Amino acid sequence: MRAGLLYMLLLVVLAPVAGAEPVPARLNETQRGFFRDYCVECHNAETQEGMLRLDEIPFVIESVEQADRWQKILNQLNSGAMPPENATQPEPARKADFLDVLSHTLVTARKTLGDQGGRITLRRLNQREYRNTIRALLGVDVETSDLPADSGTGTFDTVGASQYMSGDQIEQYLALSRRALDESSARAAGGTQHHRAREEAEDFGNRRMDSLFKRTRELHEQHASWAAAVDAAAERPENLDIAAVLREKAKKPRPSSGVPYPTPLFFYYDWDQIKGAPPPTEFGFNDAQAAFFSENQYLHFFPYYDDYQKLPGRESGAWLLFYQAYREAYVSAGEDWPPGTYTLRMRVAANEAAPPERRFLEVGQRGDDVSDFTVFGAHQVTGTLDDPQIIERVVQISTDGKREFAIREKRPNSRTAEIRSYHDEFEKTGHGPVPAIWIDWLEIDGPGDAPSGIVSLTADSQGRAGARDVIERFATRAFRGVKPEPEYLDRLVALFESRLDVGDDFDDALKTPLSVVLASPGFLYLSEPSGNGGPRKLDGFELASRLSYFLWSAPPDDELLALAGSEELLEPDVLAAQVDRMLDDGRSHEFVAGFAHQWLGLERLDFFQFDFRLHRSFDDSTKAAAREEVYQTIALLLRENLSLSRLLKSDFAVINGLLASYYGIDGVTGDEFRRIDLPDHSPRGGLLGMAAILAMGSNGQVTSPVERGAWVLRKLLNDPPPPAPPNVPQLARLDGQLLNVRERLRAHQEQPQCANCHRRIDPLGLGLENFDAAGKWRTEDTLVRDGSVRKTWPIKPAGAFFNGPEFNSYLELRDIIASRPDGFARGFSESLIEYALGRPCGFTDADLTAAMIQRARSKDFAVREFIQALVASSAFRSK
Amino acid sequence: MNNASFNRRQLLRAAGTIVALPAFESAGFRRFASAAEARSPRPKRAVFLGFGWGVTEETWLPDANVTGADYVLPSGLAPLARHQADFSIVQGLANKFANEAHWGSTFWLTGANRYAEPGQSFHNSISVDQVVAEQLGQGTRFPSIQLSCPDGVANGHGPGLSLAWDERGKPLAGLDSPLRAYHRLFSDDSMPLARRQALLAEKRSVLDAVLADARRVQRVLNRTDSAKLDEYFDGVRDIETRLSKDEQWMTVPKAKTSLAEPPSGVAGRDEIALMYDLIVAALQTDTTRVITYRQPVTSLLSSLGIKLAAHDMTHYTTGERLEASQRRDVAQSELLAGLLDRLKATQEPDGSSLLDHTVLAYGSNIRTVHYLDNCPLLLAGGGAGLKCGQHLVLPKDTPLASVWLTLLHGLGVEADRHGDSTGIMKELQA
Repeated sequence: MRAGLLYMLLLVVLAPVAGAEPVPARLNETQRGFFRDYCVECHNAETQEGMLRLDEIPFVIESVEQADRWQKILNQLNSGAMPPENATQPEPARKADFLDVLSHTLVTARKTLGDQGGRITLRRLNQREYRNTIRALLGVDVETSDLPADSGTGTFDTVGASQYMSGDQIEQYLALSRRALDESSARAAGGTQHHRAREEAEDFGNRRMDSLFKRTRELHEQHASWAAAVDAAAERPENLDIAAVLREKAKKPRPSSGVPYPTPLFFYYDWDQIKGAPPPTEFGFNDAQAAFFSENQYLHFFPYYDDYQKLPGRESGAWLLFYQAYREAYVSAGEDWPPGTYTLRMRVAANEAAPPERRFLEVGQRGDDVSDFTVFGAHQVTGTLDDPQIIERVVQISTDGKREFAIREKRPNSRTAEIRSYHDEFEKTGHGPVPAIWIDWLEIDGPGDAPSGIVSLTADSQGRAGARDVIERFATRAFRGVKPEPEYLDRLVALFESRLDVGDDFDDALKTPLSVVLASPGFLYLSEPSGNGGPRKLDGFELASRLSYFLWSAPPDDELLALAGSEELLEPDVLAAQVDRMLDDGRSHEFVAGFAHQWLGLERLDFFQFDFRLHRSFDDSTKAAAREEVYQTIALLLRENLSLSRLLKSDFAVINGLLASYYGIDGVTGDEFRRIDLPDHSPRGGLLGMAAILAMGSNGQVTSPVERGAWVLRKLLNDPPPPAPPNVPQLARLDGQLLNVRERLRAHQEQPQCANCHRRIDPLGLGLENFDAAGKWRTEDTLVRDGSVRKTWPIKPAGAFFNGPEFNSYLELRDIIASRPDGFARGFSESLIEYALGRPCGFTDADLTAAMIQRARSKDFAVREFIQALVASSAFRSK
Repeated sequence: MNNASFNRRQLLRAAGTIVALPAFESAGFRRFASAAEARSPRPKRAVFLGFGWGVTEETWLPDANVTGADYVLPSGLAPLARHQADFSIVQGLANKFANEAHWGSTFWLTGANRYAEPGQSFHNSISVDQVVAEQLGQGTRFPSIQLSCPDGVANGHGPGLSLAWDERGKPLAGLDSPLRAYHRLFSDDSMPLARRQALLAEKRSVLDAVLADARRVQRVLNRTDSAKLDEYFDGVRDIETRLSKDEQWMTVPKAKTSLAEPPSGVAGRDEIALMYDLIVAALQTDTTRVITYRQPVTSLLSSLGIKLAAHDMTHYTTGERLEASQRRDVAQSELLAGLLDRLKATQEPDGSSLLDHTVLAYGSNIRTVHYLDNCPLLLAGGGAGLKCGQHLVLPKDTPLASVWLTLLHGLGVEADRHGDSTGIMKELQA
């Protein structure tokens, strides 16, 4: 068995379901002829070539062993090893058809053989749910990156069978919960005192820039005096020869000097070879290197500093530079301020002379290194010098976290990109990039009201009984309404007492047992008791938990728990009303993001860094906004209960100012995502027009029509191609040739084992070629090598579905896809089932899927109908 | 097993867990040992170094047509030239079940079938270092040490917390900075003994408490769910085993090392070099005999001044990415050469070198780009009786696990099989 087989299981959850009964994986009888002619001819009872008989292998796959045998056959055909070179070779088209049937049959076989009959395996809180649950209980965020991510193994992070637990992890839960409890009590102890710190930009920025301006000019004057003296010495007769040699030498780059391009300055660098030339030390430089460096700085930056001196608004504020010196403004919370939620506030304006895509600022924190900057978010700056604007952003300060915050102009998050962008602009204009953001002041104030946890940790009395009360109350809530047992409580109280014995005060002593609660199975696992018999109905609390982890990735709130306790939640009307309430609640964004990220495979967006020289504006902030567009669009469909098919094609987009600027859509400003009506024939609207989706189908430099085409088949048409055979070579042999993407992909048609899938995949990906690697619209493709354009081609998106309709443009392609909402609805339903129930969606779910689609279709595929139908189903309500 | 009536200590007994007493083989003692003891057979050690994203195949893998001792080291291995007689390069290896192009380490030492459990999308099995540790690790303070780097995914390692997976196929956590590793290996707890004993007792009480709740939960579960919750019981048992071992060693001071405490925040080349120093020190002092190290690639690139994400680099074509990939290979080879220098220079009491008694494996499950066959592998040292100074080209897709099985036998571990091994590889044995 080779890797290809294993890829199949990845796709299992997305494969179409054909009916209520498990479908036996049966090879089409029409393929028997191919098999007889090209396989059995040698591998039969008499010859048994290679000790292998294939004449008796059944065409129905009913066991893992049979599937493995067929997989080996598929691998041999795929690798081209069989039929051997000296044997009769099949017609390419016939071979492609056979491979097509065989690989799809194997996908079906794996699905049938892996069907779990609807059984839900006990699951625990995944990383997201754990973080949200701690936040709900204690009102604080914990750093959970050390916990297993529970994703990336081909299923949703809610699927219990694929999660694991280990001793290391239990110790991590203990440590994390202790940290959360400490943080929570530190916040509560913060008191009511208000703190505020403000930095006036002119105090720091202008002073810095003024002194830099002056100092650079002084050093230049010193250098000029020195250079004049060296020149004078060079003109003496005895120096003429060497001076000529040195001037010639200066025309060659010297990487050893740190400056890899030629400059006349090298001449002075070599001053000591000129007899009688004065040393740089006489002119205030430590050595020739220092003189060289300061003059080089002057040449490259003085115009920039000089321009800065002439900017308006410097009496009351300062301009942030794109590069060098004043590129970030900072403000710090005091060391003695309590941890909590603070407001970062800034009064800013944009330079109307700067291009619109540069009028954004980023809020974040600087790292240990100058090139490190953690971006929290981007904000559009629309204020002007005459009418500046105030931007606010909420930030968290934790006990041991950083207290300094920074703002800067939005930019690619790499030092190299910064330097390169500066010099590109400098070479073009003789000036650096014009400053885009003016800042009056930056302040931080707070703390705001501490978001308290949902359980009070205050004891009625300071004794043993009081402690036991708190522990029991906390554990019951942590266990989502399930009462802990006395023996367990006894042990926790004993832990509390032993902490008191070693000198902890009451509150501190309580933290030990409480942190144990948050590492106990009752908290970590969503346990649903069941016997070994058939399914049973969930009780109120179990249903409340299943529902809240489905729609909020968080624990049930008071209202849900009350309805659970009274069992009203079990009534269909009440349950449906709760679904609506929960979807209306802001916490449902956890569902949208958690589900959509995995359903649509958005993790690929982080696989590559985008080449800033090719895709300058697709920086981290744009990427984050592009990802958010996917979530916000789905959130809007949910909020307004619109049709799922709007994700295939839509006359609106849900974007903010940043993305509107990126897409070239006028008239949208501000950071809020909102519904924007699109003009006719806009390529935006629907998933295929979203930068995040398109960027995933690239390698950060150029588009990948194969990735895009396969994604369309998998996610939009619910017709996943079989897994790629392992170790397929890249098309690297074509590297040296000036071919466009269509010409390169033609290689896929040369071999039937490639063609059998790529004839379906490639035309769809090529139909999306009007979008570049970062999702911008284009009409030409350019081949860039070593920074220069080598060749340009017009984009020709026309193509056809395999055995299907033709299209002449991206818009026609999108129309055809949008005319097939049923497959899309099926894929969506199956993914919802898997995500919500925490188990693979199998053949046994065919009725449920059908019911969901039927109910939704009757309302034009309104998205809430899918969710309501799933929650109302007996599968969702039983264990 | 009747869960209602079982407690933590029964759990330990049920598992047949034996906690060995510290052997007076330990280094602090050995320093004063007699010459006679110095002549006793030296303990064997095993070191596994995994580097995630593979190599630049064109300039790392030797010409497959020139095998044996007279092969030419390609440029990616050139810094190792002075050690050429002390290692072998093996080609043709693969983990046949490996199917994830970004998982350079998840199955590297296990050879597991990810889909061996029906209905699960992920399964792993014990890694070879842990098999070694079961036998070689019992007499030392730490049966094994896992060194690691943060963010395994970005570093091309795939799921997992270190290179090591326990007997149930669960990931073992790693020490992800030289500072943390230094403290674990060499820093003595300054807390008074009585206080440490009290803390240990508290940890046991914590385990007793969570077990009480685990039993409540498990009582009402069906078979499948109950089996799932067994992972939790297993986890508690692992902690308990560790605590017992801590207790046994509580009065034995940690070995002393001449290494200074590493600074915090070291990243990239210096980070790997410091970890290598710690590996030598840990082996030299017999603090442990089995070490794995899941090496960083991302920070290595940064420290070389390369501004590319590691994954982007692996998709190299001629130009910046290829150059970065090759510089990465050379830097890794230079670091390894330094490690081999020190293992050779470290003398054992009988006059032999540490390398003579150590087997070191250095490689990745990823060859190049997204290829998972012909996994790069370098084997060094005399610890497992493997052939050195050779370029071996084995038949295509020879199971990597067969190499691990051969290594196990060379170390005296009588295993029948490991992962998908098909047998001992005589070609590797000296």
